[in-house]
Amino acid sequence: MIHAIIAWRCLGNSRRAVLGVVLLGFLALAGVFAEILASPAPIVAVGPRGVALLPGVMRPAVYEGKSRVEVERLHAGEGALWPVCRYGPTTPGDVGPNAPRGPGHPLGTDAEGRDLFARLVWGARTALGLSLGAVLLGAVLGVALGGLAGYERGFWNDRLVRLVETVDTFPAIIVVALVRAIEREPSARSLVIAVAFVRWAEVARLVRAEVLRSGAEEYVMAARALGVSPFRVFGRHILPNAIGPAIVSSVFGVASVVLLEAAVSFLRMGGESRSASWGETLAEGARDPSRLRLIVLPGLLLLATVGGTYLIAAALRDATDPRAVRGR
Amino acid sequence: MLGHALRRLLWSLPALIGISIVTFLFLSYVPDPSEDPVLAAQISPAALTRLRRARFLELPRFLNLAPRDVRERAGELARVIISGGPGEGEARIELARLGGAALPHVLPQLDTLAPEHRRALALALAPIARRMGIAGPEVDDPARAVAFWTRFWDDRGIEFRRAVVRSAASRLVRYGSATRATDLIELDTFVLDDVMAALEPPLDAAGVTRARALIDVAAHVTGSADRVAPGADLEAARACVDRWQAYWSVYRADFTADTGVARVADMVLETRYGKWAYEAVTHRFGRSAGGAPVLDELEVRVPVTLAIVFGAIALAYAVAVPLGALGAAFRGTRVDVALMLAALALYATPTAVIAVMARGAAGGGRILPAILALTPALVAAPAVQQRAALSLTLSQDYVRAATARGASRARAVLVHGLRNALVPVATLATLEGPMALGGAFVVERVFGLRGVGELTMLAVQQRDIAWLMAISMSAALIAAAFVLAADLAYVAVDPRLGGAILGRKGRP
Repeated sequence: MIHAIIAWRCLGNSRRAVLGVVLLGFLALAGVFAEILASPAPIVAVGPRGVALLPGVMRPAVYEGKSRVEVERLHAGEGALWPVCRYGPTTPGDVGPNAPRGPGHPLGTDAEGRDLFARLVWGARTALGLSLGAVLLGAVLGVALGGLAGYERGFWNDRLVRLVETVDTFPAIIVVALVRAIEREPSARSLVIAVAFVRWAEVARLVRAEVLRSGAEEYVMAARALGVSPFRVFGRHILPNAIGPAIVSSVFGVASVVLLEAAVSFLRMGGESRSASWGETLAEGARDPSRLRLIVLPGLLLLATVGGTYLIAAALRDATDPRAVRGR
Repeated sequence: MLGHALRRLLWSLPALIGISIVTFLFLSYVPDPSEDPVLAAQISPAALTRLRRARFLELPRFLNLAPRDVRERAGELARVIISGGPGEGEARIELARLGGAALPHVLPQLDTLAPEHRRALALALAPIARRMGIAGPEVDDPARAVAFWTRFWDDRGIEFRRAVVRSAASRLVRYGSATRATDLIELDTFVLDDVMAALEPPLDAAGVTRARALIDVAAHVTGSADRVAPGADLEAARACVDRWQAYWSVYRADFTADTGVARVADMVLETRYGKWAYEAVTHRFGRSAGGAPVLDELEVRVPVTLAIVFGAIALAYAVAVPLGALGAAFRGTRVDVALMLAALALYATPTAVIAVMARGAAGGGRILPAILALTPALVAAPAVQQRAALSLTLSQDYVRAATARGASRARAVLVHGLRNALVPVATLATLEGPMALGGAFVVERVFGLRGVGELTMLAVQQRDIAWLMAISMSAALIAAAFVLAADLAYVAVDPRLGGAILGRKGRP
């Protein structure tokens, strides 16, 4: 595991990695704590019925579709700690569409009268959650199938290579279109599955190459000669070598999936989605170019996400590549 | 090299069929518009059944182990009419619809039935006789109907032969006269198979006349009102022929009896996939939700999208290769960092933002600004790849040797480095197209261009299977072409790889 320690140190010293982690960290925190930043429900409510922590998460149905006044009436006579912005991503605002920034709406409202700040914060959750889910699922699939393809010689190996080639060159946006066509209401889950379906091929290619390469190495032969089971050989002796490139490819994948998600919600494929998304805000801005806010803000957030991911991925690649020149 | 390319192209054919099967299986779970409960409440059950039949929803997906032809349908209907149970009225109507095509399977059996059954069945055939124009008062008379039909089969049974009908139909096409049409009408729906086989989209006025004669016969025997009007022009006649061919692809099994090989073929063809594949091959990939044949739409729209994608890729590579080379030449300096940061910023700026800005500056509806808007997103990947590959090459001994012998730095990079570093960049180019497609859809939307993206979004909304199938097939085809092009590009760039790549399919 010396290699891992070297890579880790290399990463810590890299300014690119630190910048990327800071950028992405802020957005990830915003996504994780979206309920605390922007939600119609209070963070903590202390009242006669006891203490309710994050009632918006525990009982989301209570707050669904309620305006700010109605929620206030609900918590009348209770001590409550409210979020920074008291509107959820789907809560209708009180000031109408395209309102400028003002009290209650730190960034104003979007073209449908929803709070822009809330949309952007919850959009971070959609973008990051979705791309992480899709990339993880794709990586697991890719490692399993790639490992299989490396072990299995002959006819099926050949077919699998062709399959990987085909899937790898198949446009992701069309897979998403096919998935969106078979469901009645667009959901994030279907998008995760569709993207994972395209993503696995790249990881599988990398893992397969490593299995083929290290299959002839002495340490693998030694392990086999000692009677170690194929699964253990794969897990202990082959996978650690393959996992570096696979991780790098996956982190690069996060960036491209974030952009893909933005494109899909920009195009409103399969109708209106319920979850907030930066791409959707961009689409609103594209329809009315005079609302520069609706273009610039989500654009900047996407820039930060993709840029941060890219920086981390590039630093990771240099850190994990044993052939790279160190110390530069 | 040519042999390799041909072999690969041949191999992509089964792959395409496989992809079409997988995609079709997937899309067969698309909720069909006819499953909408709102629609079901608005129209009658019979109309709903007809609608579902027209969309092939009654058929199995891939394998029809028991295809129902006219013999089985007629036998079932006869049993229902004889038993006189519920549904008898509908069975009579249905048998009348099957018409003359059912007669060869019903009339010979008349003798084997009990007298009252025989009568019931003979009376049910009366509408057919009226349509054929041979009916006297006896067809509705319970006492004489059986005798009428027995005599009819004795006299005319010999005319219910495929060969007879085929020559009659071709005579009608060639000479066209009222008596020849009457000859056909006297055989009722039995002639439909050959009439439809003779029917082809008209190309000139004579073709219109031929099509009109055939469609008149078909419309008469099926009780349809869809004919070619006397003064109809070529366009209207073609549309009418089109409608009849669509009708025939749905209802063919009602009027034809299949034996032997045809029956085996029906096991595959009388399925949803079979219907789609047949339509795809014979009728330009079926109809999209917009009404025009899918292939016509594709021919108009694919060039727009491909121009955007390839234009942007070409432009991006034209920028990226020098950028990467510059980065590698100045590796580790401020220039390098600035270049790579610029490439990263271009990559990370969403295409939608750039496109909206570009539309604001250049206006919509034109293709060149659209290409320019898509380009920035594609610059980073090849630039980074080029830089990495070139810096690896520049540390090789032959480059050091070249510099030692007095080659300038520019010569070392351009002549000795660049060509060797192009292989990984060529690999990337194959993956770039599919990735750029999403961006191309966005750009099309922003600039209001009529490309593939517009119709794909519409197809997703309207659950238009024909279009989605066609678009995924063409995507697969283009992708396969890309992989092949990349392999050939490797060999062109680096002849050392020739043996490894060209001999990959199990050849020494």
